[in-house]
Amino acid sequence: MSVTGLLLIGFLVVHLAGNLQLFSDDTGEHFNAYAEKLKSFGPLLYVAEFGLLALFVAHLALGLRVTFENRAARSQRYALDRDRGARSFASSTMVVTGVIVLVFVIVHLLDFRLREMSPDGLAAMVVRRLSEPAGALIYIVGVGALGIHLSHAFRSAMQTLGLNNTRYDVPIARAGKAVAIVLGVGFALFPLVYFSGAKHSTHSASVRAAVPSTQQRSLADEAVSSRASFESSSSGHSEEQR
Amino acid sequence: MSTPTATATNSKLDSKCPSGPLADRWEKHRFDLKLVNPANRRKFHVLVVGTGLAGASAASSLAELGYSVSAFCIQDSPRRAHSIAAQGGINAAKNYQNDGDSVHRLFYDTIKGGDFRARESNVHRLAEVSVNIIDQCVALGVPFAREYGGLLANRSFGGAQVSRTFYARGQTGQQLLLGAYSGLMRQVGEGKVKLYARHEMLDLVVIDGIARGIVCRNLITGEIKSYAGDAVLLCTGGYGNVFYLSTNAKACNVTAAWRAHKRGALFANPCYTQIHPTCIPVSGSHQSKLTLMSESLRNDGRVWVPKAGDESRSPDQVPDEERDYYLERKYPSFGNLSPRDISSRAAKQVCDEGRGVGGSKMSVYLDFRDAIVRDGVDAIRARYGNLFQMYERITGEDPYRVPMRIYPAVHYTMGGVWVDYNLESTIPGLFVLGEANFSDHGANRLGASALMQGLADGYFVIPYTIASHLAGRKFGKVTAEHAEFRRVEQEVRERIERLKNASGKRSPDSFHRELGLLMWDKCGMARNAGGLRQAIGRVRELREQYWQDVKIPGDAANLNNALEHAGRVADFFELAELMCMDALDRNESCGGHFREEFQTPDGEAKRDDANYCYAGAWEVDASASSLAWKLHKEPLVFENVKLAERSYK
Amino acid sequence: MSSSHDTHAAHGAASTHGAHAEKKSLRLTLHVWRQRDPNAEGKFATYKLDDVSPDMSFLEMLDVLNERLIAGGEEAIAFDHDCREGICGACSLTINGQPHGFERETTTCQIHMRRFEDGQTIYIEPFRANAFPVVKDLVVDRSAFDRIIAAGGFITARAGSAPDANALPIPQVAADAAMDAAACIGCGACVASCKNASAMLFVSAKVSHLALLPQGQAERNSRVLAMVEQMDKEGFGNCTNESECEAACPKGISVSNIARLNREYLRALASSD
Repeated sequence: MSVTGLLLIGFLVVHLAGNLQLFSDDTGEHFNAYAEKLKSFGPLLYVAEFGLLALFVAHLALGLRVTFENRAARSQRYALDRDRGARSFASSTMVVTGVIVLVFVIVHLLDFRLREMSPDGLAAMVVRRLSEPAGALIYIVGVGALGIHLSHAFRSAMQTLGLNNTRYDVPIARAGKAVAIVLGVGFALFPLVYFSGAKHSTHSASVRAAVPSTQQRSLADEAVSSRASFESSSSGHSEEQR
Repeated sequence: MSTPTATATNSKLDSKCPSGPLADRWEKHRFDLKLVNPANRRKFHVLVVGTGLAGASAASSLAELGYSVSAFCIQDSPRRAHSIAAQGGINAAKNYQNDGDSVHRLFYDTIKGGDFRARESNVHRLAEVSVNIIDQCVALGVPFAREYGGLLANRSFGGAQVSRTFYARGQTGQQLLLGAYSGLMRQVGEGKVKLYARHEMLDLVVIDGIARGIVCRNLITGEIKSYAGDAVLLCTGGYGNVFYLSTNAKACNVTAAWRAHKRGALFANPCYTQIHPTCIPVSGSHQSKLTLMSESLRNDGRVWVPKAGDESRSPDQVPDEERDYYLERKYPSFGNLSPRDISSRAAKQVCDEGRGVGGSKMSVYLDFRDAIVRDGVDAIRARYGNLFQMYERITGEDPYRVPMRIYPAVHYTMGGVWVDYNLESTIPGLFVLGEANFSDHGANRLGASALMQGLADGYFVIPYTIASHLAGRKFGKVTAEHAEFRRVEQEVRERIERLKNASGKRSPDSFHRELGLLMWDKCGMARNAGGLRQAIGRVRELREQYWQDVKIPGDAANLNNALEHAGRVADFFELAELMCMDALDRNESCGGHFREEFQTPDGEAKRDDANYCYAGAWEVDASASSLAWKLHKEPLVFENVKLAERSYK
Repeated sequence: MSSSHDTHAAHGAASTHGAHAEKKSLRLTLHVWRQRDPNAEGKFATYKLDDVSPDMSFLEMLDVLNERLIAGGEEAIAFDHDCREGICGACSLTINGQPHGFERETTTCQIHMRRFEDGQTIYIEPFRANAFPVVKDLVVDRSAFDRIIAAGGFITARAGSAPDANALPIPQVAADAAMDAAACIGCGACVASCKNASAMLFVSAKVSHLALLPQGQAERNSRVLAMVEQMDKEGFGNCTNESECEAACPKGISVSNIARLNREYLRALASSD
């Protein structure tokens, strides 16, 4: 779980970085161009997406197995069950937040990946969706659950991988919180901004026109992707979801 | 073989001690011992009862040698044997501190500490193998305290003038036991030791004069079952719980040793009881056991009581001139660090004078006021923080502000089953190790020597001496189907039935408390002939009453704590009588045995070497109609040390 | 719970000079798990005590109750206990939903009744985990721990073969760290308090103790693999890193040992032949 979890965190970081391009101009051109660039990878993109899906399913399957095994390890529960304050809200709700994130991801894929691309570009689709009250709510709840999930996940993964010790425990715990806040708040910015109307992508720029202007950035992306194949697949996938 | 009256005879007692120069005896003896051919070892089945330091180390080293071993313990795991509670440390004559220690010095200190009532040969062997014990324990991963440079740390303990005590925080016994236990479990994992946890040995089976097996009760199912073997090792600890309140764990009992005694093994020096001076006092009638506070507290704490008996002020209100620092007054050179028996008796004396403190007036102050002023509260916290915390948890009193209250408590029993130099009892094939035997500590045990003896017996003595029996005698195979096993099983069942069917009103625990109080009163820190005679009469009465009036609800075919306890209390009742008889026989004061009639004018123990320089070993008189004993005396010969008065002034 | 803890600590400190008569006895309602044997159905039985001395230990309070049960012809409540000094690890009990009760770094046998309030209701249950089946009432079978040790929790050192104890200096820091881990008393509170009934803290303490010492190096890889394999066989749950075990441990064993166990395990997997 720790390995798949950390890789998924890696994907989320790239995904957030990609999404932030929505804020880089008013027209959404950069973002759309970024999406097109990823699309241009062709079959490679499907491989990457498949990898990401496998990672997600593995995480889910391992989570299910651990949960069932753990339930089975104590069939007679305590009549009165009090913890000693070591477990956090996040750590005790990993299954719940995990399920919320799962549902959210499905909705998210239906919204942006499994639907036909709107002629006015992906950026416009995103803005429209997040401007609706229901859309904004779903996205805020989804990424909120994700943030909570992550606030236990990172440190837990480090512990499971044996990368923790008494000296690093506090820094690692802080890093875990930071990851949760950056990703949680980072993703939450989009529904918050678009729903509140603080930023509107009014005119959808021509996607094709944007391609040459983003060439440099795409090269940078490629450099990243060549370093870690999963990350590259992640970024590819992230775009397709829009 | 035995005389019909209770007069002395030593015909039964061949100590088998080797002769020659003291330092060469063990070496010579080991060479003289027969060896068991490695190929034959697995054919010999050894039953080890008890899995403390002695039992675990014996079982694992015999299995290493290739013997087939079965190990039995009453706890749910061998790791919980009471050796685990020893705090202070373990002695060894390593001389790592270069402070003049040697095997001979450890030998001498132990002989003197035991008030010259132990065998020279045994004690010297103990001192010799002490050095191997530390090596073995370190190899097993015992995390002894170390200095910055990585070498082992030592401290001086229990008034020793050299630093020879190895320790692992305040948990030395725990760490040593976990080491021995891990070795035992390795053998269990490899299938060389078969482990029977929650099994209590309830009798010994002797066939043709040789110990051939044991009868156990499975404490979970109540099943009574026999186990046959070629040798039986009792490693079942001491009998301090005869006093009900002691520092021993609740399950500590004499039953295995006592059953062996009833089957013919002689029981030696039962009156030698060690009373530890620094225990948390009794807080009420509910008290179930006593907690030891490490002796190290006496390094900085000052022991006192008010000079006046009717003192009602809180301790901080009593000015110095109205305090009696009685240890410093009576023993100026050792002061608060005087040996255990001496400090304990002095505390009893001031309490008997009515100068005790606390609600019950049965405790004395151990005051850190001056040490806190001198070294600062932080230094004291660094040294004793854990102990202070434990004290506060138990008493609800804060020792940084209010003096601790302490009182002596029964801690260890030097007496036990009589064994020869091979650790074999008077029943061939029955060996007794650790606290359960009587051998090495004489009339008083020095601090940090119990762990040493348990491991010495298990790791470095029994692996050799068991061959004296296995290779030295001819005996055929028997199985648990043998008629004698059937007969003993039947006796065990009948005994349980008798206890179970007594239609009385009182719990075993209530009888145990009553017996304990009586023993503490009459056969505790100080004894006298009149009191001992009274006690014998009263013990007999109570014992009679016990079998009539005990009540044990529940079922014998199930886990039944009250039933387990009932059997042990029944044996304590018999032992109690023998302890009093032994104390009555010994018309002298020595070590843990103080007879009020035999003291120097200033109240110190007065030994009588001319008449009592012997180990008193008692044999159950099988010809008597009721329980009676015959005394056998093993003279103690001192060729290498001069008998001297133990003086700590 | 913590507020009652504080008031009673203050109460204890106020009545310092051994004036026991001043302390008021407590009235308690106990709900105690009774179960005849492993296969029987268990249920709570309710007992009322109205004269519990605040100086009693928790187990002494149960002793008193048992004496009364026996006097009334009822079978005593079975519970494990032995040294009553907090070191043997025999005592267990889940007190008001917390293994070893609410006090930090304290075994059940070291809890004293002055920490409870007059009129309080106390639930007493066994340690619960499928790997620790109930034997009777409050007694559970913790032999799974013994089997884990037998699988690999040792250093192979035959008596007689050991080199001189000072032949191999061990830095004090390493010795201290090993001792910290070795302080585990094997009581099983880590399992009982873990929401997943995981035994990782116990196993990690033993693995750490031996892996930190130079003597433990020869069997370092095989040890951790064998112990983890046995742990999994025994049916303990998985660790989800919530640290409840550390909070419940009467000896304060740190979860950093669990990280070390994971590290040792991965290392052994990577280097095993």
